[in-house]
Amino acid sequence: MAMGGILVLIGYLIGVAFFSNAYAGLILALVIWFIMNLVAYFAGDSILLGISKAKKITHDDHPRLFNVVEEMKIASGLEYMPSVYIIDTPAMNAFATGRNPKNASVAITAGLLQKLNRDELQGVIAHEMAHIKNRDVLLMSLCSVLLGTIVILAWYASRIMIYGAILGGGRSRRSGGGGGQGQIIIFIVAIALMIIAPILAYLIYFAISRKREYLADASAAQYTRYPEGLASALEKLSQSTHKLETANNATASMFIINPLKRSERAAADLSSTHPPISERIRILRSMAGGASFYDYNTAYSAVHSGKSVMGAASLTGAAPVSIRGASAAAVAAEPEPTRIERARETSNVLWKYSKHKLVNCQCGTKLRVPPNYRHSNIKCPHCGRINTIPHS
Amino acid sequence: MDCPVCKGPMVIVERSGIEVDYSPDCKGVWFDSGELELLLESMELDETGFTTDELMALDEARTNEKKRRCPICRTKMKKLIIGKTPEVLIDACHKGHGLWFDGGELGQVIRQLLDTEPASGGKQNRVISFLGEVFKASD
Amino acid sequence: MAWYFYLIIVLAVVLVLFLLFTYNGLIRVRNQMKNAWAQIDVQLKRRHDLIPNLVETAKGYMTHERETFESITKARNLAQKAVGTGVGAQSKAEGELSSVLSKLLMVVENYPDLKANTNFLALQEELSSTENKIGFSRQFYNDSVMGYNNKIQMFPSNVIAGMFGFKTGEFFEIEVAAERAVPKVSF
Repeated sequence: MAMGGILVLIGYLIGVAFFSNAYAGLILALVIWFIMNLVAYFAGDSILLGISKAKKITHDDHPRLFNVVEEMKIASGLEYMPSVYIIDTPAMNAFATGRNPKNASVAITAGLLQKLNRDELQGVIAHEMAHIKNRDVLLMSLCSVLLGTIVILAWYASRIMIYGAILGGGRSRRSGGGGGQGQIIIFIVAIALMIIAPILAYLIYFAISRKREYLADASAAQYTRYPEGLASALEKLSQSTHKLETANNATASMFIINPLKRSERAAADLSSTHPPISERIRILRSMAGGASFYDYNTAYSAVHSGKSVMGAASLTGAAPVSIRGASAAAVAAEPEPTRIERARETSNVLWKYSKHKLVNCQCGTKLRVPPNYRHSNIKCPHCGRINTIPHS
Repeated sequence: MDCPVCKGPMVIVERSGIEVDYSPDCKGVWFDSGELELLLESMELDETGFTTDELMALDEARTNEKKRRCPICRTKMKKLIIGKTPEVLIDACHKGHGLWFDGGELGQVIRQLLDTEPASGGKQNRVISFLGEVFKASD
Repeated sequence: MAWYFYLIIVLAVVLVLFLLFTYNGLIRVRNQMKNAWAQIDVQLKRRHDLIPNLVETAKGYMTHERETFESITKARNLAQKAVGTGVGAQSKAEGELSSVLSKLLMVVENYPDLKANTNFLALQEELSSTENKIGFSRQFYNDSVMGYNNKIQMFPSNVIAGMFGFKTGEFFEIEVAAERAVPKVSF
């Protein structure tokens, strides 16, 4: 969004320099801003996934992740299966992208994938699936266009009013009299407008973003029928010390937790795209009665002294929805892989996509040789055997 | 990933489910902090002794050895001494990306370990002896 | 012309629009329900396909579970025959299958060799995920049935539903003993 401001400046300078007219600059800035947003809208997912070093995976690369995404696709009633990506970073986060459900993707970082058990993974994926189902990507890009336009217009309007005031002030001095007071008022109004309008626009943008996060949490609870899964995943996320380096302001609102801020500060509430994690966990954990929107809203009210997150329309006609047990108690109990097994599952996918060759030494050591390794054989550092490297 | 010492490609060595990066040319070893965490957890140890804060609080070891750069963030690492008999001079990333063990140092450790009882002593020694075990035939 | 003439025209237009929207709305929820049902069918079929593979792999290791295997194969064949016989009959057959399967998967713990078999582990992941998918598609189907039935029974859409003969949807309930109560394991 800071880009919007720079853009206006450039547009303004171009306008003044080439057309000797600030209005031309305004129009130019708005047009460029609009085109940028169109590009972001249509190619945003590929740009985002490109800068995030994401690898698209298939079912065989990571069956558990792929199956969980499929399960949540079914639970949410989405018609299309989103693409699944793993991002090669130890930081912990996940996001959804895509302008409509047909072209959607979900991405999860390797760090997060390693740390979550199946129930937690399901919660996180359900949250992302809710963003897709609720069309939050579209909504937030529309909001961002509006916000940018407001920032640009406020900047221009105030500029014009200030010039008007200065010029007018010059005139009024010549004619004498009390006109000067009026100019000062206009001047103050202009400065106030310049400062307040963008701030207000930002606050509204952040408020909408936070509301969509709550809604996605509520949907996740409804899809999985197990709010504890997401709650415990959020708890693990909040303990993470790694920062996601490829995140920037424009993409922040689509992540499961705000990737830009490491610590939680209640004071920063208004200027954050995400609600504080501790609060989200508290709401999910107080959903004792059931897993429907109604139950989430009740839990939210309990935490927020009576306020409500959802409109009445989304709450009526809801049938009671019960919470299920943890998946260990479900019908086909699957042994939960250990953390080391999960870490290897995830890194194996990444080694495969970075074209490392696997050498299984007889002593049980596994060697992964990068593509730029020049020799045709390698000595095992554990047992000293010389192993030949297989050809692709 | 490239070796911070000889700039050659690093090979990934996996043993007991733990991955360690190894430079086949200079025998140096990079222990990523995420893998270190996994190792400590599998040994049922907590992370104390290896948290970034604790490592950074240690005194910079006096040595003439050249400063190494972290292979992940490329910033200069801090020289530290960890473990007791054998003591090992290592490089630790300020941002907590991981630990670097020079080829020669690890060789010494392994020779010392052959004399002493493995896995005795503190947490740091257990990690060092794990590496010693993995890279038994590294020289 | 008299004022009531216009009134009649307005009322007629409103009535036609009401009819049109309600009818289309009913069709939409009914299609959603049918799609949801098709989704369950896909997952049930997937389970029927997975079971013979699982049984084949596990047989070599689980030498003491011959009876369990026989009952699984039997239940699977019955469930496969029940495909297309209606929601009620199919629910019952699938419920049987789920409960015998859970019996088998509960004793897997006693066979460490089997648990180390990567092929079996992959099959188990597929089967348990398929179970989840059946559960989630059932959940979505039942939600859809609820929405559809509400429309059929509530005024004013119930009038249109009656006129065009919309019938209420049937819930899909898999009765599994293990789902209701925590199973007792005796040694």
